[in-house]
Amino acid sequence: MGKYIWKRIFFSILSLLAVTWIVMLLVYSLTDRSAIFQTDDVWNKRSNNDRVLYEYTQYQKYGYLEFINFTTFSKSKWVEIYGDAYDTCPEYEADRNIIQKVGDDYLSNETVQEFIQYYESKGYTIVRLDPIRYTTGAKQLKPGGTGYLLATRERPIISRLWEYIKGFFSVETTKDVKDETLTDRYIRFEKDPYSGLFAIVGSGTTHKYLLYFDSKFPFIHQNWIHMNLGVSFTRYRGQEISSVITDSQGDLKTKRQQYPAQVGSDIWVDTAMDFHTLTYNMGELTDAEKVQFNDKYTNATYMRDGMSMIGNSFVIGLIATAIQYMLGLPLGILMARKKDTWIDKLGMWYIIFFMSVPSLAYIFMFAAIGTSLFGLPYKFANATVKILAYILPTLSLAVHALGGTMKWMRRYMIDQMNSDYVKFARAEGLSEREIYSVHISKNALIPIIHGIPGTILFCLVGAIITESVYSVPGVGSLLTKAISGHDNGIIIACTVFYTTLSLISLILGDVLMAKFDPRISFESKGGR
Amino acid sequence: MADTKKKTAAAVNEDELFTFVSNDTLESEKIIAPRYSYWRSVFRVFFRKKSNWVAIGLLVLLFLCSFVIPMFCQYDPYENVTNAYMYNQSPSQAMKATGGFSFKWILGSGQIGNSIFYGIWASARTSLLLALICAAINMSIGILMGAVWGYSKTMDKFMLVVYSIIANIPYILLISVLVYIVGSGFWPFVFALTVTGWLGISYFFRTQVMIIRDREYSLASRCLGTPIPRIINKNILPFLTSVIVTLLATELPSYISMEVFLSFIGIGLSASVPSLGRMIQEGQVAFRTYPWAFWPPVAIAALLTIILYVLGQNLADATDPRTHM
Repeated sequence: MGKYIWKRIFFSILSLLAVTWIVMLLVYSLTDRSAIFQTDDVWNKRSNNDRVLYEYTQYQKYGYLEFINFTTFSKSKWVEIYGDAYDTCPEYEADRNIIQKVGDDYLSNETVQEFIQYYESKGYTIVRLDPIRYTTGAKQLKPGGTGYLLATRERPIISRLWEYIKGFFSVETTKDVKDETLTDRYIRFEKDPYSGLFAIVGSGTTHKYLLYFDSKFPFIHQNWIHMNLGVSFTRYRGQEISSVITDSQGDLKTKRQQYPAQVGSDIWVDTAMDFHTLTYNMGELTDAEKVQFNDKYTNATYMRDGMSMIGNSFVIGLIATAIQYMLGLPLGILMARKKDTWIDKLGMWYIIFFMSVPSLAYIFMFAAIGTSLFGLPYKFANATVKILAYILPTLSLAVHALGGTMKWMRRYMIDQMNSDYVKFARAEGLSEREIYSVHISKNALIPIIHGIPGTILFCLVGAIITESVYSVPGVGSLLTKAISGHDNGIIIACTVFYTTLSLISLILGDVLMAKFDPRISFESKGGR
Repeated sequence: MADTKKKTAAAVNEDELFTFVSNDTLESEKIIAPRYSYWRSVFRVFFRKKSNWVAIGLLVLLFLCSFVIPMFCQYDPYENVTNAYMYNQSPSQAMKATGGFSFKWILGSGQIGNSIFYGIWASARTSLLLALICAAINMSIGILMGAVWGYSKTMDKFMLVVYSIIANIPYILLISVLVYIVGSGFWPFVFALTVTGWLGISYFFRTQVMIIRDREYSLASRCLGTPIPRIINKNILPFLTSVIVTLLATELPSYISMEVFLSFIGIGLSASVPSLGRMIQEGQVAFRTYPWAFWPPVAIAALLTIILYVLGQNLADATDPRTHM
C-alpha cells in the first residue's frame, strides 16, 4: 500500500507540473495579449511611440515580458559617477540627444553600445523606436513621437515554470530584512503576552511571530513557511493570492489590547490590530509608534468581523455536502427499496429536474421562492442577520448535489439487488429492512465513498453561480474574474490549486475505498 | 367483455367456427421465425409510451419555433438602442408604445429595448445548433477514438497518460482558458467545447469496449481471424448502442447548460451571437423588477434540456433489447 501511494503521489506531481506547463503555455504564449487594450482609455489617448511604450509597460505589468528602457540605464550609469547632478552632465545630455536622432547614428554612442552589449548577452532583444517627426529632418516631433531604445525579453515557458517551482515555498530567515541598522538577529522561543503561551519569535525575519497560538481555529498558526501560489498582477495589486483568499473580510473588529511596549503597564487601547501578524517596517517610525513598540515590527493586519473568502465558500459547501450525503443516501436506498412505486417515480422526477435543468435556472427559482415566500435575505451583503444569508446559498447547492447522490445510490442499490448474497440473506430469513440498510447499502456505498473526499475538498473552490447570484464574497468567481481581467498570476495560481485538489481527492478516494472494502487492494500481485 | 364474446360465439353456427385444414407437408418443412428488426422494435417500444409522444410534440414545436421564427423575424437587439423609452417595458406597455397588439412585444422588452420574444427564439436556435454540432463532433470522435483506445493496448498506454494530464485540469478552467484564447464567436466556441470534450466520452467508451473485447464470442471471432475493424464494427459497437444513446441523452442537454453557464459567468459567446445564457445573464440583474426579461429564456432553456434529457433516457431504455418483449 505504502509503495503504491508514493508512486501515485510521484505521478501526481508530474502531472501537476505538466498541467501547469500547459496552462502557462496557453496563457502566456497562445492568448491574444493585445485584448487587454480593448477597453483601455489610456491606450486610446496615446499615439505613435508613446503608445508602443505604454503597451510594453502594460505587458510587463501583466507578466508577459520584461523590458528595460535605455533612459533608465543611462541614468543609473551617470548617477553612479556624478550623483544627483547627473542630468546636467554633458554625457547624459549626449545620451539623451542621440536617442532622438533618426537613423543609425545612435549606434556610435558609447553608452548605447554598452547597453546593447550588456542586454544582448543576457538574452534580451533590442528594440529601436525611431522618433517620428512631421517631415523628415524637421525639428518638431509628432505627438507621442519621442524615440526610444528598449531591451525586451520574453521568458521561455520552461524558465517561467522553473522560477515558479523554485519560489513556491519560501522560508523566512533572519537575513530577510535588508536593514543594516538591525544588528540583533535571532529566532528563539519567547513568552507570548497575547496568548499566555510560548511563541517562536524572530528578529530579522519579515514576520515577528513565526509560530504562535491563539483562540481562532485552528489555534496554532505560523508565518514561517509561505506558499507562493501566484501574485495577482492587476485585481489585487501585487498581493499573494493565498493571502487574498484567506484574509478575513468585513468591518474592523476592535478589541481591548495593549501595544507590545505597553504590556504590563495599565494602558489599554481599543484597536483592531492583530499583533500576531506584525511585520518589519522599513521606513521611519512615527513618534507614537516609538512609544508603542519596542522594535521596528510595527505593521500588522487588522482583525475583521467577516469570514475570509475561502471560509465563506467552505462553510456553505460543507453544510451542503452534509445535507447531500445525510439525506441523499437514505433517500436513494428508499427509492431502490420501493422501486416502481410512487416514491420512486417522485424521486426520479426530482432527479431528472435537477440533472437536466441548467443550474442557473433553478437557483433563481430558489432565490425567487425563498425571498418572496419565506422572507429570506437575497443578497449576502444586505442581510441584517448574517446567519440567515447562508441559508439560500447552502440550500441551492444542496438540492442539486442531493439529486446526484440519490441517482447514483439508487443505481448502485438496484445493481446489487439481484446478487446471490441478497437471495441468501432472504433465505436466512433476515428482514427486508435489514437486507437493504445493512447488506445491500454497504456494497452500494463503495463507489460513492470514492467521491466523498473530492466533494469535501472541492468546497474550497467555491460555487461560481450560487455565489454570484447571492453575491456571497467567496472564491467561486476568482478564476473567471481573473480570466476576464487577464490576471495571469491568478489564473496560474487557480490552476495549481484546483489541480492539486483534484489529485489529492483522487488519491484520498482510492485510499478510503480500499479501507472500506477489504477486497480492493493496491498491491500489484495478482488480480486485474 | 367476456359476456359479449360469449354472445357472439353463440350467435354463429358451429360449422362456421371450425374449418378443416389439410396436412401440407411442404409447408411443415419451412421454419419461420417471427421477423425481428432491431430498430423497428426500438421504436415500437419507444412509441408505446404516451408521454414520449407529448415530449416529441413539444420538441418539434420548439425546433420549428427556433428555426422558423428567426427566419422571418430578424432579431436585432440594437434596434431600439437609441430609444430609451423602450427599455425594460412590460408586455402591455411595449405593445401600447408600438401601437397595438404584436407578437414581437408579447413578452415585453429587455434592457436595451430588444424584443424578448424574438430574442428567445434566435437564442434557442443558437443553443440547439450548438448542442447538435458539439454532440455530433464529440460523440463521433469520442466513440471512434474510444473504440480504438479500448482495443489497442499500445494506444491505451499512450492515451492514458494524455488523459490523466488533461482530465486533471478542471474542465471549467480548460474551457475558459480556451475561450479566452480562441475568442468567443460561435465557431471558436464550438472549437473550445470540442477540442478536449471528446476525451471524456472516449475514456468512458474505452472501458465499455474493454469489457466486451474479452468476452467469449469476441475471442472466438479473433481466433477465426476476423479483422479488427470488423470485430469493432460487428461484435462490439452493436452491443453498445444503448450505452451510446444514454451518453447522447446526457451530452445533448449538457451543452445547452454549459453555454448558459459560461455566458452567465462572462466567458461564453460574444454579444453579437444571440444566446440564452447571455439573455439570462442580462435579465438576472433586475429579475424581480422586470421578470418578463428573465423567466422566458430560463423557461426555454429548462424546457429544452428537460425534453432532450427525458427523450434521450427513454430512447436509451428502448434500445436495450431486453425491453423488446
